[in-house]
Amino acid sequence: MNKELEHRFVTELEDNQNIVHKVCSLYTNDKDSHNDLFQEITIQLWKAYPKFRGDAKFSTWMYRVALNTAITLYRKSKKSVKTQDYDSVVHKIKANDYDDTEERQLKLMYDAIKQLGDIDKALVFLYLEDKDYSEIAETLGISEVNARVKLSRVKTKLKTILNP
Amino acid sequence: MDELELLKKDWQKREAHLPKLSYDQIYKMIWKKSSSIIKWIFYISILEFVFWAGINIGFNSPETMEELKAMHIHKVIMVLNIINYIIILYFIYKFYINYKKISFTDSSKKLMKTILGVKRTVTQYVWFNLIIFTTFLIINMYGVLIYGEEGKKIVEAASQDGDAFVLWAMVIGISIVFTAAILFLIWLFYKLLYGILLKRLRENYNELKKLEV
Repeated sequence: MNKELEHRFVTELEDNQNIVHKVCSLYTNDKDSHNDLFQEITIQLWKAYPKFRGDAKFSTWMYRVALNTAITLYRKSKKSVKTQDYDSVVHKIKANDYDDTEERQLKLMYDAIKQLGDIDKALVFLYLEDKDYSEIAETLGISEVNARVKLSRVKTKLKTILNP
Repeated sequence: MDELELLKKDWQKREAHLPKLSYDQIYKMIWKKSSSIIKWIFYISILEFVFWAGINIGFNSPETMEELKAMHIHKVIMVLNIINYIIILYFIYKFYINYKKISFTDSSKKLMKTILGVKRTVTQYVWFNLIIFTTFLIINMYGVLIYGEEGKKIVEAASQDGDAFVLWAMVIGISIVFTAAILFLIWLFYKLLYGILLKRLRENYNELKKLEV
């Protein structure tokens, strides 16, 4: 019985691991932290799995546990905020020197997202994953209206970072 | 085109470049120990329960009881002890219930609220113990001065010199300063400990909460 549960869980996670990797890539800066967070999310998913009834889609349920782990987990960030700011300034100068190619623009945007707070990151992530407002609201525990307001604020924030 | 739409397109294309773990790699992971903050809070809380229970037991050894009897304060202390144990049991129960409520399948806001709730129970427990501890100290000091051998001498000597008031003022003054210093140190310790552990969580929680105003 237990073996069967393990097998089902690992198979489902293997099929859906992209979701966890994407969360890790947003919330960590290097490979080691990425792997640490991936492992922690896996542990939390596994712990919660017996309560997963299958009335929601496995992937939907995963978004919630993965984001919750990323938001509440304690870990030392190896880069201080200051160095991150410095990095993005350097990128900005470089980006202006060269052509404003799509590639550059994207790089800037990913850097800008990395600078956001945990909650803002979660919002952007769910937006990028094409989740609707009701799902975003439910995942974070806020009302749909507030999810809308907050996301539009984050979008504005991102745009000001990109076009100062 | 909207920059964010551009980003969304790219984001979905990126999936191809994500790392891919094998079945066995994932299987190994589910048996690893969690290193989440919840675990830390759990261990620290257990330590706190054990630490304060230890102090209680230390203060209740048979020898201490004899001393207390000699000082005629053992009845007060016994009553305090009973109240103390009942409340400690209540705290352990509350801690357990709150801890069990932590669920990563809740919404982020609810999850953070539950975690902060567990921490609040532990803080209340610590404060409660500090108050009990201080009360014990004060009663003890009173017992020593009124009924203790050394204490009696000191009090008598002081009253002979007509300095009884000064003596009591000094005793009260010193106890207040001493207690305040201990309380401050312990408060500082917890502030630092939980400050470091829960800073991010609290910030995130407040950010979600702020939206509702």
